[in-house]
Amino acid sequence: MVDVMEPQPLATVEGPPTLLIPRPRPRRREESAKEPVEPVISVQGLTIRYGSFAAVRDVSLDIPPRQVSAIIGPSGCGKSTLLRAMNRMNEFVPAASASGKLIYRGRDVYGAGFDPVDLRRQIGMVFQKPNPFPKSIFKNVAWGPIINGYRGNIEELVERTLIQAALWDEVKDKLQESAYALSGGQQQRLCIARAIALNPDVLLMDEPCSALDPIATSRIEDLIDELKTKYTVVLVTHNMQQAARVSDRTAFMYLGELIEVDDTQVIFTKPGNRKTQDYITGRFG
Amino acid sequence: MTTHFVDLLDALRRRSLRMASHVEDILHEACEAVFAADETFARRVVARDQAVDSEEVEVEAEVIRLLALYQPVGSDLRLLCTVLKVNSDLERVADCAVNVAERSKYLRVETVLNGDTDLQEMIPIVRNMLRNAVQAYGSQAETDAKKVFQAEEAADALYGQIIRRVVHDAAEHPSRMAAYLDLLSIAKNLERIADHATNIAEDVVFLSTGEIVRHRKLN
Repeated sequence: MVDVMEPQPLATVEGPPTLLIPRPRPRRREESAKEPVEPVISVQGLTIRYGSFAAVRDVSLDIPPRQVSAIIGPSGCGKSTLLRAMNRMNEFVPAASASGKLIYRGRDVYGAGFDPVDLRRQIGMVFQKPNPFPKSIFKNVAWGPIINGYRGNIEELVERTLIQAALWDEVKDKLQESAYALSGGQQQRLCIARAIALNPDVLLMDEPCSALDPIATSRIEDLIDELKTKYTVVLVTHNMQQAARVSDRTAFMYLGELIEVDDTQVIFTKPGNRKTQDYITGRFG
Repeated sequence: MTTHFVDLLDALRRRSLRMASHVEDILHEACEAVFAADETFARRVVARDQAVDSEEVEVEAEVIRLLALYQPVGSDLRLLCTVLKVNSDLERVADCAVNVAERSKYLRVETVLNGDTDLQEMIPIVRNMLRNAVQAYGSQAETDAKKVFQAEEAADALYGQIIRRVVHDAAEHPSRMAAYLDLLSIAKNLERIADHATNIAEDVVFLSTGEIVRHRKLN
């Protein structure tokens, strides 16, 4: 729209009534540039094989701090393998091998001299199916810190951790009861509590809600949203709506390759790659 | 389920395009009415607008239903958002066309214009803008949308000239004030239609690229 007040070709006219003047449209908005952020984990050209089969092929991906990064893709695309590579859990799989680099806080996880046990203290994991220890609720949380030589007040730590895991109000009166007496959703939050009791840097979550009902899922999602203020979260999920709801960044994998990674909002509104578009809209997968 | 959803999306898109074509026809009739000074044109435009109003509500209800039931993402989400927005713009265009036709009922436009051709020039520009916007909506082509942006300034400039001309002439012929107000209203409604056409073209860019270009100019 143009301002019709200028120029004034008719000398006798003072100007049209202001109500008639079209309002000029605001001009171009400047896009704000993003500050580069040092990633917590940087995957660089990582290939993971089970025997001769390459489950993850030449993947490069940065995991930014204090955000939820989701990895999505159809079954068998390599997303869980990539997640497990981040704390070297794949080493428990016979014939698994890795090439390329996986840098955690500046050090190559697969380099010489990196202690995997120490790595797993820093990078905790929550699995698909809740797997509490066959012990009391209290001991499930206290176990990790105790065997790692925790010297503080363990009762306080358990309480603080269960509050963080949004479970305290439901279990505070039955801490000595078996963890198996809890519901599936509560067991999963207990497993999250167990993981964060060690105060890790990163939490890896492999389909943490796939065995849960919608209400328990919603509580875990709320918890993930809370956790990202303190931890870096990497989430593998089959549930695309869950990735859209809880994650800040989303990576799409297909046939072992990383197809696209971007802000979650971009992936779910204007993905750059046709394969991503087809997958998120259910055209294949 | 996906195939079913794709079919529903396609049907909705075609329905919205049919409505767009209908609105184009209404504008055509309204523009004819400007120089015809014939009440029958206005009556026909009003009747056709009622069909647009009810279609707008039904299209909107269908968009809301699909959003709620299928939670679409990516290009499907963009399409539904675009249909919803274009739907509203089309309904407004039809309303503006009714205003143009209503104001034209008793207007002897030749007398009021007194040889000035700004309105004659403005009408085809605005009609073309709407046609190109609807064409872009059908083809989802950014290039078609850009034709609309290019015409916008010409329409605005002509509207400005009409205002200045009327303000000048009305001072000399105060007895024709009612006719001048009709003329201004026609020009104002045409200018609004040009804006709605621009909105539709901007929504087409969003549909095809995901970029929100509103409030900024494309090169």
